[in-house]
Amino acid sequence: MSQAPNHADRSERFLLDEERTTWHDETLWFIRQKRDRAVYATPEFQELRELASQIKDHTLSRLAEYLEQFEARALANGVHVHWAADAEEHNRIVLDIVRQARATRVVKSKSMLTEECHLNPHLLAHGVEVIDSDLGERIIQLRDEAPSHVVLPAIHLKKEDVGETFWQHLGTEKGLTDPQQLTEAARQHLRAKFLAAEVAISGVNFAVAETGSVVVCTNEGNADLAIGLARVHIACMGMEKLVPRLSDLAVFTRLLTRSATGQPITTYTSHFTRPLPGRELHVVIVDNGRSQQLGRPDFRASLKCIRCGACMNTCPVYRRSGGHSYDFTIPGPIGAILSPNIDMRKHASLPFASTLCGSCTDVCPVKIDIHTQLYKWRQVLGAAGEIPASKKWSMKLLSRVLARPGLFAAGGSFARFGLRFVPHALSHAPGYNPWAIARELPAPPQQSFRAWYAQQRPNQA
Amino acid sequence: MSMPSREKMLAAVRASQPAATPLPVVPAFTGLASVARFTAALTGISGRVVVLEGWHALAAAVSQLFPADYRLASAILPATVAVASNTPIDRLAPIDLAVLRAEFGVAENGTVWLPEAHMLHRALPTVTQHLVLVLDQRNIVATMHQAYAQLPDVGGYGVFLAGPSKTADIEQSLVIGAHGARSLTVLLH
Repeated sequence: MSQAPNHADRSERFLLDEERTTWHDETLWFIRQKRDRAVYATPEFQELRELASQIKDHTLSRLAEYLEQFEARALANGVHVHWAADAEEHNRIVLDIVRQARATRVVKSKSMLTEECHLNPHLLAHGVEVIDSDLGERIIQLRDEAPSHVVLPAIHLKKEDVGETFWQHLGTEKGLTDPQQLTEAARQHLRAKFLAAEVAISGVNFAVAETGSVVVCTNEGNADLAIGLARVHIACMGMEKLVPRLSDLAVFTRLLTRSATGQPITTYTSHFTRPLPGRELHVVIVDNGRSQQLGRPDFRASLKCIRCGACMNTCPVYRRSGGHSYDFTIPGPIGAILSPNIDMRKHASLPFASTLCGSCTDVCPVKIDIHTQLYKWRQVLGAAGEIPASKKWSMKLLSRVLARPGLFAAGGSFARFGLRFVPHALSHAPGYNPWAIARELPAPPQQSFRAWYAQQRPNQA
Repeated sequence: MSMPSREKMLAAVRASQPAATPLPVVPAFTGLASVARFTAALTGISGRVVVLEGWHALAAAVSQLFPADYRLASAILPATVAVASNTPIDRLAPIDLAVLRAEFGVAENGTVWLPEAHMLHRALPTVTQHLVLVLDQRNIVATMHQAYAQLPDVGGYGVFLAGPSKTADIEQSLVIGAHGARSLTVLLH
C-alpha cells in the first residue's frame, strides 16, 4: 500500500534548504520575542487571557442563542444574513450574491475561512475575477500557493522570491528585492483593482451579538478601502466568531495583536454594522464541521481560537517544518487539533507533529489547552486505527515489555551487550530506526540502574 | 425537502453546546490617560503627533506639514475637493490629503476613534494618500476598556485607527503605506 505523504515527509522537503529553514526558525522566534515584550508591558495581560477564555467558553455554551441574537440585530440593521452548513453551500451563496450584483470583479481581504472553503477557485471557475488584496495573500495568489501562516501568509518566501513573482506578473524590474519598492509596486497594482471592484469580500475577526456588527482587523487598510468603495460587501464568518457584548472587544483587541506580532493593536479595527442606502452588507455564517467539534468535549475549546498565530510562532516543530508541511488551511499546533475533526485519516500525522512541550498552550491568548488536545487526539487516532503499523506495533511491544519487569531487565542487558557489536550502519539504519536519522544513540552503559542500585545497598547503614 | 441550513445548524449547535458557563464581568482596567503616553504609543507605531496652540492654528499647521499643493478633502478646513457619502470613485481616487476630526484617543496604544459621521465618505480615510486627524487632547482615555465604554453604539461604520497603513509581508520588513494612508498625523488641540 503506498502511503500518502505525511507531516514528516513534507517537512523533509522544507528542510532541504538549510539556510531558509534557519531564517524561518529565527524570524518566527523573533516575532515570539516581540510578543513577549508587548505582553510584559501589559500588567493585566494574564487577567485578560483568563477573561477572554471565560467569555469564549460562555459564548460557546450558549452559541445557538447568540447566533439568533446576532442574526436578529443584523437583520434589523438592514444586513442580509445567510447560513451555510458546509463549504460548498458557502461558495454557492457567495457566488449567488456576486451574480445578483451582476458583478465580475471582486476584491477580497484576508479570510482563513474562504481559504478553508476554497472560494477563489469556485469564483474563478464561474467567470468572476477575485483578487486577494492583503499583500502577503496577493503574493501567494500570484504564485498559486496556499498561505503558510494565519497572520503571515507569505512567511515561507524570501524577498528574492517576491521580486521574481512581481517581475513575472506585475512587470517590475528583474532582480528587484527591496521590500519598500516591491510593496509600492503592489500598492499601485492593487489600487486599480480596489477602484474597479464591484464586490468586496472580507473575513470576520469578531461578530458582536448585541449590536449585530462584524469587526475586521487589518494593518494594511485593504478591507476598509475595498469595502468603502464597493457597492456590495460580503463578510464570511465561522459561527464561532461571536462575542456577546461590544465591550468584550476591549479584551480581545488588547490580546489579539500583542499575541500575534507584538503590536499594541492592529492599524485598522473596523466595525461594520449598517450598509449605506443603496449598498448591501451580507454576512455568511458558516458551520463546516464546527458544530461537530463543539460536540467533542475534549476538543471543543479549539473553537475559542482567535487566529493570532502565537502558537505557530513559538512551536519548535512549526518553525522548523513550515506551514505547508501541515497541508491544512490552519497550520501549526492549532491546525493540528482542528484538522482531525475535518478528516481524521488525511490529517492523522498532525497531532504527532509536536514535542508536547506546551509552549503553544502557554502563549495562547484564550487559554486553549492545545498540547493536551494534541495528546488526546493521539489516543483517539490510536483507537481508530489511524496510526502507522510500525508505530502501532512498536508501541504494543514496548508496553508489553514495560509491564513485565523480568522481560524489561532481560531486554536491557541484551541491548547493552548487543549494541556493542551491532554495526553503526545497522543500529542507525534509517529504514529500521527513523529516530536515528539525525541523532546518535548514546553509548550503552556498562550496567543498568538496577544493578548499580543493588550495589549501593550494602553500603547503607 | 431537507431542513434549511439555518435550522439544521442551530439544531446541531443546540445538540452540541455544553452546559452554560457564566459570562464574566470585565473589571475597569484603567491607567494613565496622558498626552505623553498617547504620543509615545502612536510614535511607536509610525504615527506623528503635533500639538496645536489652539484650534485657530489648525490651517497654518496643516499647510506647514504639507506645503505642496495637495488636493484636500476636509470637513473642518476649506477643501479643494468636495466629498460627501455618495461622491463617485473617480473624484475620491486623486485625493492627496484628508483632514478630519477624531472623536477620542486611547493612550495605551495610540489609537483614535473615527466614526462615520466625521469621515465624509467611508473610503476617504483609506483612499487618501495622507491623513490628518484633529483631536481634543482632553478626550484621551487610558485603555480600550474606557474606549468602548465611551461608545453607546458604533454607528453604521466606525474605525479604531492606529497609525498609517503598513505591512511586513515581505520578509518581515516594515513598510509604511500598504494600501491606506501613507502617513497619519494627529493634531492635538
